[in-house]
Amino acid sequence: MPALLKIILRRVALGLLTLLLVSVLVFAATQAMPGDTASAILGRAATPERLAVLREQLGLNRPIATQYFTWLGGIVRGDPGNSLVGTEEPVMQLLGPRIVNTAALVVAAAFWSFPLSILIGSLSGLFRDRSFDSSVSVGSLALAALPEFVLGLVLILLLAVQVLHVFPAVSMVNPQLSIWSQMHNLWLPAITLGLACVPYIVRMLRGSMIEVLESEYVQMARLKGMRERVVLQRHALPNAIIPLIQVIALNLAWLAGGVVTVEYLFNYPGIGSALVDAVRNRDVPLIQAIVLLIAAVYVFLNLTADILTILISPRLRTGLR
Amino acid sequence: MSDQEGKSSFDLGKLGEIAGSKRITRRAVVQGAAAAGALAALGPFAAACGSSEPDTSASPSAAAPKKGGHIRSAIGGGTTKDILDPHRTYYDSGSKTVIVWDALMGWDQEHKLVNKLAESYEINADATVHTFRLKPDLTFHDGSPVTADAVVYSYQRILDPEMAALGAGGLTELKPSGIEKIDDLTVSFNLTQPNAVFVEAVAYYANAIVPVGFTTPNGAEGAIGTGPWKPISYDPGLQTEFVANPDYWGEGPYADKLTMIEFADPEPQLNALLSGSVDHLANLATSQVGIVSSTPGLKVLEAKGGGWNPFTMLIDKKPFDDVRVRQAFRLIIDRQQVIDQGKGGFGRVANDMYAPYDPGYPKDLPQRVQDLEQAKSLLKQAGYDNDLSVVLNCTTSTMLDDPDAAQVFSEQLNGAGVKCTVNKVDPDVYWNEGNYRSYPFAMSNWGTSNYLYLTRQVLFPTGPYYETHWKDAEWEKIVLEAFQTSDDAKRNELVSQAETIEYERGGHINYQFGSMLDAYTDKLGGLVPDNFGQSGATYQRYHLFYFV
Repeated sequence: MPALLKIILRRVALGLLTLLLVSVLVFAATQAMPGDTASAILGRAATPERLAVLREQLGLNRPIATQYFTWLGGIVRGDPGNSLVGTEEPVMQLLGPRIVNTAALVVAAAFWSFPLSILIGSLSGLFRDRSFDSSVSVGSLALAALPEFVLGLVLILLLAVQVLHVFPAVSMVNPQLSIWSQMHNLWLPAITLGLACVPYIVRMLRGSMIEVLESEYVQMARLKGMRERVVLQRHALPNAIIPLIQVIALNLAWLAGGVVTVEYLFNYPGIGSALVDAVRNRDVPLIQAIVLLIAAVYVFLNLTADILTILISPRLRTGLR
Repeated sequence: MSDQEGKSSFDLGKLGEIAGSKRITRRAVVQGAAAAGALAALGPFAAACGSSEPDTSASPSAAAPKKGGHIRSAIGGGTTKDILDPHRTYYDSGSKTVIVWDALMGWDQEHKLVNKLAESYEINADATVHTFRLKPDLTFHDGSPVTADAVVYSYQRILDPEMAALGAGGLTELKPSGIEKIDDLTVSFNLTQPNAVFVEAVAYYANAIVPVGFTTPNGAEGAIGTGPWKPISYDPGLQTEFVANPDYWGEGPYADKLTMIEFADPEPQLNALLSGSVDHLANLATSQVGIVSSTPGLKVLEAKGGGWNPFTMLIDKKPFDDVRVRQAFRLIIDRQQVIDQGKGGFGRVANDMYAPYDPGYPKDLPQRVQDLEQAKSLLKQAGYDNDLSVVLNCTTSTMLDDPDAAQVFSEQLNGAGVKCTVNKVDPDVYWNEGNYRSYPFAMSNWGTSNYLYLTRQVLFPTGPYYETHWKDAEWEKIVLEAFQTSDDAKRNELVSQAETIEYERGGHINYQFGSMLDAYTDKLGGLVPDNFGQSGATYQRYHLFYFV
């Protein structure tokens, strides 16, 4: 399918260009921030002498363009460089366990919330304007209006601190052990993160279900006298799934970014809290690596969703030929 | 001072207010980030860590402390930038280094000088030679002996400009050539100028003793000190695990294991304590006191430190070049109100002077109180008739710095006919290159230390924190004489005179001495408040904690 390949290649090239632009923007932003790594490290102790020593040691005196292109050269070779602070560990070594932690959180959140929201959304579309549908609508609207950190705080109060003591209120992940051996740290942040996705998926699915059910081919099928079950299974659901791919991709991408606030709230040691740290320390290589990682996840998920959409929608698939 | 002691006790009415004012907002979360950043700036105020000599009488239960257990402590402010290096503690926001390494001298919880690794200390008549003798049979965590060579190596490392060591600022009279090994346990410091309080710099926790050949460790391995706790794992910005050092030279440690867990935000830090995930929380925010005190099984510990957040006036810049304006400002401030509204009610009213635990601190000078009439008349004499306007600069950070207090004082100034606006600056810019020293009217913050030690850093033009542009011939003569006076009584008298001069015409408005708060479960005993008052109310004295 050379046409599809061409599309993929074009999208990949565009994606790489996006990432390059992101890296320039992020680098410019780090330079525009007040202070630099040396002043962030020293804080109150920032005397001119100490700053001079640290700036020399950290290579902050080099021209800005040199700093950027040194970094870019590293990235092209697959080496995102070393952190500027602490013991100047390689960025990948620093991020590795945190990427695993964040991935675990995102997967756990998606694992429970996506199927549930899809189910609720479809049912809600099916029973349009019935009491189930209206309560789902009200509920999901209310949920959508809550920022995820408020949601998290409410859940902490309800499930960990005040009313019930079911889950730990914070994720005290032991960095010496793997996240899989301490899953209890995952529950509350995963519930929070997942809940934040529910309203979007539910509303999208409901809308798309309604649209499909009102479509001519479903009416045709009904008029043919097909049983409702068959109508749904054979005609409605497959067509309602197509926008679902986009919804899932968008929500997964949102999870990868939205995880920052939730990680912060639960003190969860993932890339989100690493990003907060990195910004606070003006640790440019670490900031770049994390932002690019999140951006790459976005680009990749969108690309995958588009390709899948093309592959499973007959109209687009045939259009390629 | 003593009549102020009661004011910061836990008044229930006040707690209600605090609890009521606690709201969950996005701003609170964002402020947490800034606050945590500020904690990273802890370094220079941390004057010393006193590991007390056995003092069980101070602990609430008289029974002998039980051995064993695992203390989990929630601390704030750690990030990926942290390293375990006692000489570069600006990298160590949670002050983990103070429990791994010891200096030769230190401070106890009353802020009195005590011996740590040093067994004895001698000073010659003109205060230029200071000789320290190590306790015999001290060992590092790896079993190697603590020798004079280690002391020489440590001080050479501190004085190395490449290290940008935090403690070097207090050792200006010491050159590497002045460090002299006398015998295996004795080291002399030969100073280029007399300094009768050189021992206070030696007691600074960042001037710790490391083994010969020590370099910044990568992780816990190589973090070899003499302190009560040995690190066994180190994940910067996440957690540090320690085991008890069975050969610790002082009292304790009673628990077997200690884990310090880093929190970027006070909210999850408190939740960890409330849900029983940790046993101790260092640095409780005043807004959280209400919740902790109303939770059964939890306690609050307050340490009445000597730390201070002064307003600084540049005495060579208009309008503060006129002493009448400076005195007028000191009469406009309503100290208790700033403490109540800007500090959540915690802190003790101060009298513009500082170093309250210095034996020379003039306790008997009359407490300055708000007197708007006199202030207005002073301003009039200085040529300002309700037409003075000033800008008060401070940082945006709420943890150690004090934008709230600036706001309250600014309103008080406006009420007294001085037009004042508050200019909040990002902490990175504010402290960067000592920027804050160029603002005519600004804020600063300091931990507990004695007077002369601080003058070197703050009041001499050569000091890195020359924040009031202080210059006064009479004062300078007295202070220089004090530096040369080995006799304690005579020197204390000189300190008292110097502080009195600042009381009369100095550039600081010091309205309070701050409190530090910890929260802990009542299963823990042995917590003793430390007047040092930084980095938590007990100042990391985990080795005295035990499970009851």
